Amino acid sequence: MAPKAMAFKANSVIYFQGDLSDKIFILKSGKVSLNSQDIETGQEVRELIQMGEFFGVKSALGRYPREENALVLGDASVLQFSVPEFEQFISTNTRVIMKMMKVFSNQLRRIHIRVNGLLNIDEKSDPEKGLITIGEYYLKKRMYAQALHVFRRYLTYYPSGKFSEAAMRNCKAAEQSAQKYGTGKGPEPAVVSASTSSSVSAAAAAASGAGGGNEALKKVFYNAVGLFSQNNFMEALKGFKKVIETGGDEEYTIKSMFEMGRCLFQLKQYDQCIRHFTGLIQKYPKMPDLAEALFCTGQCYEAKNEKEKAVGFYKKIFSMSAENDPVRRKVMKALRALEEARA
Amino acid sequence: MNLNLAAFERFAVIFQPGDLIFSEYEPGDSFYLIQSGRVQISKVMGDIEKTIDILYPGEIFGEMAILEEAPRSANAVALDQVKALEFNRANFEILMRGNPQIALKLLKLFTKRIYDQRRRFMILTLGDIQARVLDVFLMLAETDGNPPENTEGHEFKTTIEDIAHWAGLPTEKCREVINHFASQNRIEVYPDRMLVKNINEFSRFVNSRRRAAE
Repeated sequence: MAPKAMAFKANSVIYFQGDLSDKIFILKSGKVSLNSQDIETGQEVRELIQMGEFFGVKSALGRYPREENALVLGDASVLQFSVPEFEQFISTNTRVIMKMMKVFSNQLRRIHIRVNGLLNIDEKSDPEKGLITIGEYYLKKRMYAQALHVFRRYLTYYPSGKFSEAAMRNCKAAEQSAQKYGTGKGPEPAVVSASTSSSVSAAAAAASGAGGGNEALKKVFYNAVGLFSQNNFMEALKGFKKVIETGGDEEYTIKSMFEMGRCLFQLKQYDQCIRHFTGLIQKYPKMPDLAEALFCTGQCYEAKNEKEKAVGFYKKIFSMSAENDPVRRKVMKALRALEEARA
Repeated sequence: MNLNLAAFERFAVIFQPGDLIFSEYEPGDSFYLIQSGRVQISKVMGDIEKTIDILYPGEIFGEMAILEEAPRSANAVALDQVKALEFNRANFEILMRGNPQIALKLLKLFTKRIYDQRRRFMILTLGDIQARVLDVFLMLAETDGNPPENTEGHEFKTTIEDIAHWAGLPTEKCREVINHFASQNRIEVYPDRMLVKNINEFSRFVNSRRRAAE
């Protein structure tokens, strides 16, 4: 069986809308137009087939009725394939498959956008905002691991994006809730929403004059956070160092020093990590991440097999942290593991 | 399928159940061929996450971002432990060249997805809310193949929430419409299913409204 050559006179019809058929055509010469009506507006849509182009592919492969009339505008010769013949043909013509795939993929995306348009879902306009919205959805649903994934990816792709501050805070909320309550449990976390936070940070920027230099600093910081989440601790460490060297914003300096310690731990430079955190805690005894810094120090001692010292740090966190502090859960777990190892 | 994949074993990746493989709107530069386990494709729409598809070994996902260099158009979540081959853009063509069966399968998948979306779009363009709800039943009837013979009517394993989703209506609004038809004895509503007495009647109703709008 081979594809069949066929000739059509001008003003004839190759197939009608609504026909069911398994035939696929390729235009060799002449003029063929595919006419259909736009689903939404009813307006007539005409698409002229190019020489060498396939038509009738989707309805034949998908086994559904033809969606358009194929009208011959000027005497045309075509090759007609059955589905198996077509499959045989394109198996040896990957270039054709790739081209068709691109066309189909694009059509699918366009129809998606129109469907969402009717549903009043505003998307595609801003993938950056879209991504953060998905993270917020997961966080609200208490799917913490998924939320973390999305916010971390956000920080990777948009280290100094409009919502990086919100992403950071939501990351933290997701981490804490996951530790404290576990997947699907706990109260709905306080989500820092992209729509509100952007106006808040804009207002803050306006109030502080413009923080131009600050923006550059934040960019370096979030870029490093992104690197950390990709497990690239070496480069992250360099980034945090740079923030500290640049200076000018104490909040970011402290944050960066804390993150540097975490990098050192991940890089298994335990002695250096202990020294780093000890210095940091002495300098900023009231730093926000104090409990985490102590915990990380304890972990270093544990890794160095100095269990007594590790236990000392864990117990200290326990005595100073509030009842509901998520770090307690981690500490309890670590203590229990140590006791079990001893027993 | 007799696939030529031995050369690609080094691209294998493992996901644990519940892992988010990628998220909608993420820039995408890889696609996946499932070797074992199932993957759920979903989209977040407002306050709900809707499953679009569940994919099985031998199926591909993530190819749209590759083909068009556009962000991901849906979420992909591992339902089981999933082993997949992860390919980048350059490998896409190599894989397709070596395995035209996969390419063909993908092409067919696109035709189905485009058809489904166009059908959905047709429902949403109906201005008449009753017609919209009834058209959802028609669409479901078209896609459920050959349902078991039931002399009492056509049975749908669906819920009002589901119908509301497809019709793009608030659940309450959809419930009103369905109650209206239930009071006329045209639909019977059960917790997990609905029974439509005469689906052809729905078809006539929808067609008349669609024509009226043209």
